[in-house]
Amino acid sequence: MSEEARGQSVLFRDALRFRVMLENETPKIFPFDRFGFRRSREDFAYYTDENGNRSNQWSAGNLTPDYKKALKLGMEGLRAEILEKAQTDDGTHDAFYAAALDTLDAALSYADKYRGFARNHAPEELYRALGRVPRQGPETFYEACVFLQFLIFTLRCNRNTHIGLGRFDQYMLPFWLADLERGVSEETLFETLEEFFISLNFDTDIYQGVQQGDNGQSLMLGGYDLSGNDQFNALSAAVMRASLELRLIDPKINLRVSRKTPADRYLLATRMTKQGLGFPQYSNDDVVIPGLIRLGYAPEDAADYTVAACWEFTIPGKGAEIVNIDKLAFPNVVRRELFAHLEECDTFEALMEYMKLGVAYEAGEIVGRNRERRYPASPYLSIFIEGCVATGRDVSDYGAKYNNFGAHGVGIANAADSLAAVREVIYETGDCTKKELLDALEKNFEGYGALRNRLLGCPKMGSNDDRADGIAGILLKTYAEAMNGKPNAAGGIFRAGTGSAHEYYYSARNLGATPDGRKSGEMYGSGFSPSLTGKPAGPLSCIRSFTKYDMTRLVNGGPLSMELHDSVFRDEEGIEKVAQLVMAFIRLGGHQLQLNSVNRDVLLDAREHPEAHRDLIVRVWGWSGYFVELDKQYQEHIIRRTEFQI
Amino acid sequence: MTAALIFSFEEFSLHDGPGMRATVFLKGCPLRCAWCHNPEGQRFENEIIKSQAGCENCGACLKAGGGRLDEKSVRVCPNRLLRMSGESYTPERLLERLRRLLPILNDAGGGVTFSGGEPLAHPDFLYECLAQLEGRTHRAVQTSGYCEEEPFRHVLNQTDFFLYDLKLLDPALHKRYTGADNTPILRNFRILCDSGKPFITRIPLIPGVTDTEQNLTDVARFLCHNGVKTAELLPYNRLAGSKYASVGRRYAPGFDETVIPQARTDIFRSFGVEPKVLWGDHVD
Repeated sequence: MSEEARGQSVLFRDALRFRVMLENETPKIFPFDRFGFRRSREDFAYYTDENGNRSNQWSAGNLTPDYKKALKLGMEGLRAEILEKAQTDDGTHDAFYAAALDTLDAALSYADKYRGFARNHAPEELYRALGRVPRQGPETFYEACVFLQFLIFTLRCNRNTHIGLGRFDQYMLPFWLADLERGVSEETLFETLEEFFISLNFDTDIYQGVQQGDNGQSLMLGGYDLSGNDQFNALSAAVMRASLELRLIDPKINLRVSRKTPADRYLLATRMTKQGLGFPQYSNDDVVIPGLIRLGYAPEDAADYTVAACWEFTIPGKGAEIVNIDKLAFPNVVRRELFAHLEECDTFEALMEYMKLGVAYEAGEIVGRNRERRYPASPYLSIFIEGCVATGRDVSDYGAKYNNFGAHGVGIANAADSLAAVREVIYETGDCTKKELLDALEKNFEGYGALRNRLLGCPKMGSNDDRADGIAGILLKTYAEAMNGKPNAAGGIFRAGTGSAHEYYYSARNLGATPDGRKSGEMYGSGFSPSLTGKPAGPLSCIRSFTKYDMTRLVNGGPLSMELHDSVFRDEEGIEKVAQLVMAFIRLGGHQLQLNSVNRDVLLDAREHPEAHRDLIVRVWGWSGYFVELDKQYQEHIIRRTEFQI
Repeated sequence: MTAALIFSFEEFSLHDGPGMRATVFLKGCPLRCAWCHNPEGQRFENEIIKSQAGCENCGACLKAGGGRLDEKSVRVCPNRLLRMSGESYTPERLLERLRRLLPILNDAGGGVTFSGGEPLAHPDFLYECLAQLEGRTHRAVQTSGYCEEEPFRHVLNQTDFFLYDLKLLDPALHKRYTGADNTPILRNFRILCDSGKPFITRIPLIPGVTDTEQNLTDVARFLCHNGVKTAELLPYNRLAGSKYASVGRRYAPGFDETVIPQARTDIFRSFGVEPKVLWGDHVD
């Protein structure tokens, strides 16, 4: 530890580390780059400690700063606010205010240093823009983009991961409109927008994420206010058009929709899906807003929701939520309870009681072990989160307006399918004994081929079969009741979700075989989706299966993901029908949906691992088939054909 | 009670009529078109379908079937790669399955399409299903038109929309490439035209077989004489043979499938018929 850091508070040390980090940076710009603020050292571990040494320590993330306010006040305005609060404070929060000011000043000195560099090395317009931003709020759309890039860069230097872009079409609209008013052509503005999006794809290797691309650069479009007014605007449409033209992974597009959303917007969005990048991801205002209000969010905040980084619903600039604090893996609970209680249960209902207890117990454990979690100190980030400056408390000190914790709900389909199979073969047909089933699971179906065949043929979630969906409903309800609203030490609450992230792999890899026919270690379905072994009866049955529950109780988020072969999108008729499919999902009360136009890599993987792609639909000509049912040479044919289309 | 084997149930078919549709494929067809891409729809008897991919060659299936594949084999494959191609449905059971989807389909301006095989080869079953769906959804039938006049008229009264195939006008060529006489097909087509029911005519473009100048001229003239103003042309797709191995048969189309079919939209236009070429490789 450096002399300067020794004996100091975590807030001081974090601020110091941020300053050291920025002092180690040398201004740099790419050719043709209009926005600047790029990292300068290839060999530099992006996250350094306060001594300038390499560090992999991450800081607060998965939340969205208050861009709207920052753009309005500029860094000077924010600074004045901190000074004002510090002066009226009784002195108990000096450490926070000092650290916040220190980081803000460090960021500003870097901005000044960058401006000096820009005078000779950057385009004239960037140099001019830096005369205004980030000290003052921007006046033009271009300046606003530069300001955003400054924030993105500095927050990254502050080790904040998965910082979402929030409701970009709302907070950037005033600048877009002001430029139009001034006579700037829409074409010029659109060009700036596209170039800014392109620039978001620079330096992406330094983001900290599970996989390349897992960087949280998500933005949200559209939405309805509390009076039901549609907030989709000219800039929202421009963002969709830009994303459609650019075909880049950043920014990732989310779209807020509701029963009132007009059909043409779904058509535009489906054209985006056709690109094969997996967005937009839809979220349903009719479900999410009431769900957030039920959890205690102020109605006007609920109506302002965005996704934190992937799918977790959060309030921009107000929520310092830890949205993925833990996970409840349903199949793991089911298997554990089966081995503990199957033999003693004479009825399926009795077994389900143990399952409910098991889920509630697990939820209780999650609440218990995470109650006191907090983010690492992050004064610079706290400047952009409502509540922190007002109360003089860092995000790590629960200063934000909302400090709720959310958990994943992993593998629901594998769990429901497993129990549906147990009910059928043990309690209904008696096709196998309890002992046989447990033995088969323990032996990973070795010597139990016919039993596995039988289990694979039992009802599966995704086929609109109440025998499986009904069980999922019970498990989800139990989970939501045991978790939603439970208090944490931050004055917030816990919230249940249906996401899995990479837990469909991590939670599954050490779990033995399950009664749905899943073999030991095999992955679960992703997020809120069918299992990999349960071939859904079709897309309609699938959306029906995943919309039967009260999704307002599961608003930590987690989408139903569906893969459609890209040939489905080949003509206008196909696009219209996919759009109708999405509309049906929204009407049925689903909370979140993500569609994939399946690409060549997936097909290649499907050829090598057919068991993991049973539900991959291939439109071949006048007929559709399951890719894995085609002979090798035809699989090869389709793979090649797809390649030609890229 | 009437029942039929259904070999596929597609919930989200894109090209089988207006809007979002569920398509029911009835097993069994009196035709044997050389280019048929759905061999499992041809036979009226049930048969075993084997997915080739994912088989670990454990031998359990053959052991259970005493050296060949039978219904017992289907039940023992540890990876569930075997299935019976058809599943028997009564109209009631099919309606029960459809009932849960109808609200979604109707909301999306769609309905139900009966295809095959040849749905008109099961006239009683088809009629009963259609009659029960009357007023509840939009009903379409995709057909080769090959059946007796009376059942055709019967079904026509209970159908809202047809997708009607015309393949070859020359009776001898039709017999040669489909195994059936085209007289009833052309007769029923005229009945359809006279009925005023909306329909789409589809013409498969099979290289050297149906895409000849002679045949396309005959077809276009026939459409013109019957007052038909539009037609859809479906270029042959070289994946047509992909399902044959799974039903234990070999695909031998009897024409050169490497030739790109010609659409000759000019011929149709010269008869006042506006053609729409559906997706697929073709030359004009």
